[in-house]
Amino acid sequence: MSEDMHDDLENTPLERRLRAALTPADPPPGFVAGVMARVAAEPAAPQRARRSPAVVSWVAFGLAASVVLSVLLAHQWQVRRIEQGREARRQLLEALRVTDEKLDLTYRVVNAQPRAALPPHSGA
Amino acid sequence: MKTFSRKWLAAPLAALLTAVALAAPPPGLLVLPEFDALAKKATESVNISLDPALLGLAASFLDSNEPQDAATRQLIAGLKGIYVRSYTFDADFAYPAAQVDAVRAQLTAPAWQRLVQVNSSREHTHVDIYVCAEHGVAQGLTIIASEPREFTIVNIVGAIDLARLHQLEGKFGIPKLPLPEGSAGGKDDKQPGR
Repeated sequence: MSEDMHDDLENTPLERRLRAALTPADPPPGFVAGVMARVAAEPAAPQRARRSPAVVSWVAFGLAASVVLSVLLAHQWQVRRIEQGREARRQLLEALRVTDEKLDLTYRVVNAQPRAALPPHSGA
Repeated sequence: MKTFSRKWLAAPLAALLTAVALAAPPPGLLVLPEFDALAKKATESVNISLDPALLGLAASFLDSNEPQDAATRQLIAGLKGIYVRSYTFDADFAYPAAQVDAVRAQLTAPAWQRLVQVNSSREHTHVDIYVCAEHGVAQGLTIIASEPREFTIVNIVGAIDLARLHQLEGKFGIPKLPLPEGSAGGKDDKQPGR
């Protein structure tokens, strides 16, 4: 039963066409010579330089180093910025202290004078 | 063609004028000498130059939760610079008057008005307070204080709110300064302002 089915399948038109198409055939004479002549006539394609593993690892190392360097520089910049900010704050408070001191001096000198000598003012 | 040329001439001219305007020093800013000679002689010296960038940086380091810092932040909000030169000496009158006069020469009307002038012959102390006003708005304040052993110049640039400065009384130890409405006047120890 099963052999009959197999014979039927083998004899289908599709099977026959496939078998005909896949039959081994020798190349026509001169085929090899023609291919070799075309290969010789075409300019050699530039070969992609293959990176050696050493180069690849150096590139990776360079990338990693630049990332680490960037992080370090950013940190350094941040530290310097904080130092500058603290110094600016200190200078600001010192400047206000000096201003305050001189206003105080003015106040003391004005108050040291006899009240009669003071001009009338709005009481600011 | 004429219109085209004018248009192309106007653009760079406007850019140039803008650049000049931006490069011009703000009103209220004094050119302070370096006072190198004074610094060498002085036993103590304070040399502070806070331009707008540094003022902004300093403000960002003030803690708004601290009352004093918050008051300071409010005070400096409209300022464009604070410049202080202060020198203390161990001998009387060790500083040359010429350099002080060079600074005073910049404080001329109409931009600068002397608000207070105080002379104490007993203490040999001389204090001048000048205000720079433009269109009725204070743009700068300068204090020049000469004492026998100390010489100080304070130049504050920007819209100064004297009322706010007044509010700081007690916070920085700033006393009640009897500032008159206009120029101060008086005889002997207090001379009228310009």
